[in-house]
Amino acid sequence: MKWMQFFTPVTSINWQEAHQLAEETPGRDVVFLDVRQPKEYAHGHLPGAKLIPLGDLDKRLDELGKEQPIVIY
Amino acid sequence: MLAGKGFSKVYNLTGGIKAWNKEVAVGAEDTGLHLFSREESPEEAVVVGFGLEVGLREFYLSMQAQTSRESTKALFGKLADIEILHQERLVELYRDMTGSAMTATEFSKKIVEPGMEGGLSTEEYLQLYHIDYDSELEVLGMALAIEAQALDLYLRAAEQSDNHQTKKVLQQIADEERSHIARLSSYIDQQQDLT
Repeated sequence: MKWMQFFTPVTSINWQEAHQLAEETPGRDVVFLDVRQPKEYAHGHLPGAKLIPLGDLDKRLDELGKEQPIVIY
Repeated sequence: MLAGKGFSKVYNLTGGIKAWNKEVAVGAEDTGLHLFSREESPEEAVVVGFGLEVGLREFYLSMQAQTSRESTKALFGKLADIEILHQERLVELYRDMTGSAMTATEFSKKIVEPGMEGGLSTEEYLQLYHIDYDSELEVLGMALAIEAQALDLYLRAAEQSDNHQTKKVLQQIADEERSHIARLSSYIDQQQDLT
């Protein structure tokens, strides 16, 4: 069902909520996923953020855990 | 895209990184990772961390030697001394892991080469942060940025490690860095209140 990816809602959270989510998740097992370009990442990123540029995301989904909280920016 | 592919806990960060009001790190995804191999043991990871703390202390001491203003000298001295506490914490972690009764001095003999905390060289830090050495807040801001770089490096090293135990130890060292950041941030807040 390819249409699902277009209509599945994603929750938006602000930086305080994202910080709180990391604090409250056991082992801080939250991925901060940076989907910008490598140059933008190098210019400034959240500490420990994983870089997967948006254009590569569909080919690299296996690098992410399906049950793991993922905060995208 | 992710939510439609079976990822159940996906959140969009409102406002992106521009809205992030906490510390950020700079550099490419592999910056500083040459210091860590994917296969190293948890003990080896602590040794690398210790070397980075030694490097940062040396950096602060070299900055102290280059400044003439007494209060800035004292501040760099204080930051350098804090690194001794960080080093001792890593030796404690090593003792807990191995059961050895090694002192910090004995431990330091294991280090091949001190690195710079956060994985950047001293020159790279100085190029990044053009600070006014007469401003204590700017010096403290640089110290905070260095700690954020260190947090970033340990988290990325944990992510790349193939050894589960090493991954856990690197995450533990990252937690130490978080507490350094929290302490330094609250000290900066106090200083700002005074000005």
